[in-house]
Amino acid sequence: MPEFNVRSDSVNVEHIMEQIRARIREKRGVDYTEEQIRELAAVKLEKFLDPRGVRSDLLDQFRKAMPAYEPPVLPNYSFESDTLFESHRGIIRFFRKLFHPLLKLFLFNPNPLIRALNIQAQLNTMYAEREAQRESSRRAMDQLYYELVHNLVLELTRTGIEVKNLKMRVESLSSRLEFNERRARALESAVVYKPSEEERPSRPSPPAAAASPQAAATTPPPQAPSPQPPHTQQGGVPPEGPGQRSRRRRRRRGRRGGGPVAGQFGSPGGSPQPAIGATDGSTEAGSETSTTFATSDPGAASASPTFASDDRSDTSAGQVRTAHDATEDDGSDDDGAPDTGGGEPHGQ
Amino acid sequence: MKVAVVVQRYGTSINGGAELHARYIAERLARHGEVEVLTTCATDYVTWRNELPPGVEQVNGVSVRRFSVKHERDPRVFGRRQERVFAHRHSIGDELDWLDAEGPTSPALVDHIARHAGEYAFCLFFSYRYYHAFYGARAAADRAILVPTAERDATIGLSIFHPLFRNVRAVMYNSPEERMMIQAVSGNESVAGVVVGVGSDVPTNPHPGRFRQKYNMRGPFAVYVGRIDENKGCQELFDFFEGYLQDPHSKLSLVLVGNSLLPIPQHPRIRHLGFLNDADKFDAMAAADVLFMPSYYESLSMVALEAWALGRPVLANGRCDVLKGQCIRSNAGLYYDNAQEFAETLKAIEQNRWLSGTLGRNGRQFFREHYDWPVIERKYLDMFDRIRHAPAARAIEPLPGWLDRRRQDLPAAEEVLAKLPTGPVTGHRLPDGRRWA
Repeated sequence: MPEFNVRSDSVNVEHIMEQIRARIREKRGVDYTEEQIRELAAVKLEKFLDPRGVRSDLLDQFRKAMPAYEPPVLPNYSFESDTLFESHRGIIRFFRKLFHPLLKLFLFNPNPLIRALNIQAQLNTMYAEREAQRESSRRAMDQLYYELVHNLVLELTRTGIEVKNLKMRVESLSSRLEFNERRARALESAVVYKPSEEERPSRPSPPAAAASPQAAATTPPPQAPSPQPPHTQQGGVPPEGPGQRSRRRRRRRGRRGGGPVAGQFGSPGGSPQPAIGATDGSTEAGSETSTTFATSDPGAASASPTFASDDRSDTSAGQVRTAHDATEDDGSDDDGAPDTGGGEPHGQ
Repeated sequence: MKVAVVVQRYGTSINGGAELHARYIAERLARHGEVEVLTTCATDYVTWRNELPPGVEQVNGVSVRRFSVKHERDPRVFGRRQERVFAHRHSIGDELDWLDAEGPTSPALVDHIARHAGEYAFCLFFSYRYYHAFYGARAAADRAILVPTAERDATIGLSIFHPLFRNVRAVMYNSPEERMMIQAVSGNESVAGVVVGVGSDVPTNPHPGRFRQKYNMRGPFAVYVGRIDENKGCQELFDFFEGYLQDPHSKLSLVLVGNSLLPIPQHPRIRHLGFLNDADKFDAMAAADVLFMPSYYESLSMVALEAWALGRPVLANGRCDVLKGQCIRSNAGLYYDNAQEFAETLKAIEQNRWLSGTLGRNGRQFFREHYDWPVIERKYLDMFDRIRHAPAARAIEPLPGWLDRRRQDLPAAEEVLAKLPTGPVTGHRLPDGRRWA
C-alpha cells in the first residue's frame, strides 16, 4: 500500500504558496531582515547617507581607534618614616637608626623632609587613581557615544529603506487614484442620448442593404437620396474631416489609458443590446461599437460584423454613445459638432 | 491473537492526543482480536496522582488493567533534572533520573509486562517518552511495537531512548516527518516501520445549518478547535487574525472551540464557544470555511484530519514541519510563516471559492486514502503479519554499568535536537534531497 502520494492534478499547494509569497513581495517591495539592515548600515551606508558625513566602516574604525583600555603602570615611590634609613644590609640599617638622634642634634632634622616626601607620595597615588578613573569613565562615555551614533546610523538606514518603500507605495497609490479618477469621470460623463418623439421619424433608418450581409456585399450603396453624407466613401469608410484626426488621436490615446473602463462600461444605461454575431472582440476596448448597434431588426443586427471592427460605426444608429466616447470627447468637439452622435458623420 | 496496548493514562474522559490515539486503536483492534489495555491509575498528566482504582475494568468493551503509580511527580525536582539533561552536558544516570522524575513511575506495570509478556502476541507501547514505554519495551522486547508519538522537542535528543527505537520489533509512525526525525537521531532504518497515524469517527452527515441556528452564527467564519493555549500557537493566531480584521475586504469571523487558558481578544468577529460535544464540534467544522491549526509542535493533527474528512481546507502554521508536510502532501491546506502570509493565504481561501472547494475535496480524498479506519486497521494488521513471520529481534541493548552511567559525556539534548534535519517531507524525498529508503 503506498503511504503517501499527491493526488490532485488541479491544485499544487507549494505552487500556490509561491504565488502568494511573490504577491506579498510585490506589495511590500523588498523585505529586509534585521541582519540585512545591520549589514547595510555597516557596509553600504554610502547608498543611504552622505559618505562625507558618516563613515561606512564606522565599527571597524572605532575598534581600531579604541583599543581595550588598560590603566598604565606609573612609577611611584612610597616614602615612610624609615625610608631614609633603609638598606638591604641589616647592620647599616641598624647603625643609621642608632645615629639618627645624633644627626638630628648636630646636622639637621630630616623629619620635615620625610613628612613632605610622604605626603607627595600619597598625592601621587591619589592622582594616579583619579586619572585612571577619569580615563575609564571617558572611555565608557565614548562607548556610549559610539553606541548612540551606531544606533542613529542604523535607524537612519532603516528609515531610508522605509522611505523608499513608502515612496513605492505612494507611487502605486497615486497611479491607482489616477485610474479611479479617470474611471469616475468616465462614469459621470457617460450620457445616453435618447431621441425625442418628434426627432424619431426624421432620423434616417439604417440602410436597407445592411439588413442582410449578402445584400450588403452585392448591392451597391444607393446614390441618392442617401442618408449618408456626400463625403462617405464606398465601403463605409468616410474621409476624415477637419478636427476628426485630432479626435481620433485623442480617442486612441484614451483607449490606451482607459481600455478596461471602456470594456467594462461599454453600454451605458443598459439600453443597447449587444449585436448578435458580433466579433469575439466585442468586449474589448477597441471594439465596443458592436454593442452599440441597437436595431429592432435582428436581421439587421446580424449584419453588424461588417461594422464591428470599425470604430466609426459606433454611432451608425445615431442614438447611443459609449462611455468610452463620452470620456474622450468630454463634451467639447474640435469641430463643434453636437455630441449626440459622437461627432461621426456616418449614419447621420 | 491477544494484543496489549500499554499507555500512560486511559479512559473515555481523557482527551490527550496520545491517550486518545491509544484508545481509538485499542477499540478498533478489539474488532479483530483480543485486546487488553495496560495502564496506570493516574488521570492527571502533571501529577500522575493515583485517582482510579487498580485492577481490571471494561471501557467501551475493552478490558483495561490499571496499576498504581509509585510516586507523584515533584515539579521542582523534575524541572531541575530536565534543565540538566536538556541544556547541559550530562550522564546516562542523569537521563534515567529525569525519566524517573517525569513518571508515571509504575514498577508494578513493568513487572506485570515482564511476567505476562508471553501471553500477548504483541505489546503496543504508546508515547516513547514515558516510564512505561522505556522499561516496558525492555521487559517485552521480542514483541514490542512502539507508537512513539514523537514531537520535535528536546526529549528526542536524550540518548536513553535511541536503543529503544533501534531494538523494538516495529515502529508505527504518525507522519513521515516523525519517521525522518527518529531515523536521523537513532539510526533505526533496519527496524520495520510504517507511517500510520490514526483515524477519526467523523459523522457522514454533519449539520452545519443546525450549528448556525443553535449558536446564531451568520456569515462566513474560520474555526479553531482545541485547547486555547499559547503553546498551541493561539496567541500568535489572535495577533495575526486581528491584523487580518484590519482589511476592510475581510469577511471571515473567528470561532474558537475549546477550553481557554488565554484571554480571548474582545472583538465582535471573534467568538469563543467553549468546549463543545462531538456533534456540535463536527457541525461547527462542517459549517466553517476554513480550519486554523496554529500549533508549532504536532506529531499528527487529528483536528486537521477531521476537517479534511469533512471537506474543509486547513490553514496551518508553516513552522510545524508535520502540519506543513501534511498540507503539501494532501494538497488540501495552505500554511503561513508570518502575519502577511497568514492574511494572504486566508484571503486566498476566503475569496477563491474554487481554491477552497478544491482544497476541501483533496482533503477528503487524502483522509479516505490514508486515515480512514479500514486503512489504519489494515496497516496494523499487515504489520502484525509481517513481524510475526520475521525472526525475533535481539534484546534491547542493556543499560551501561554503574561507572559508565556516571560518565558526563552526553551532549545537551537541545544540541542534539538542533542538529536533526528539519522541514517537511514532500513526495519521496527528504528535506536534504536524499531519497527515502
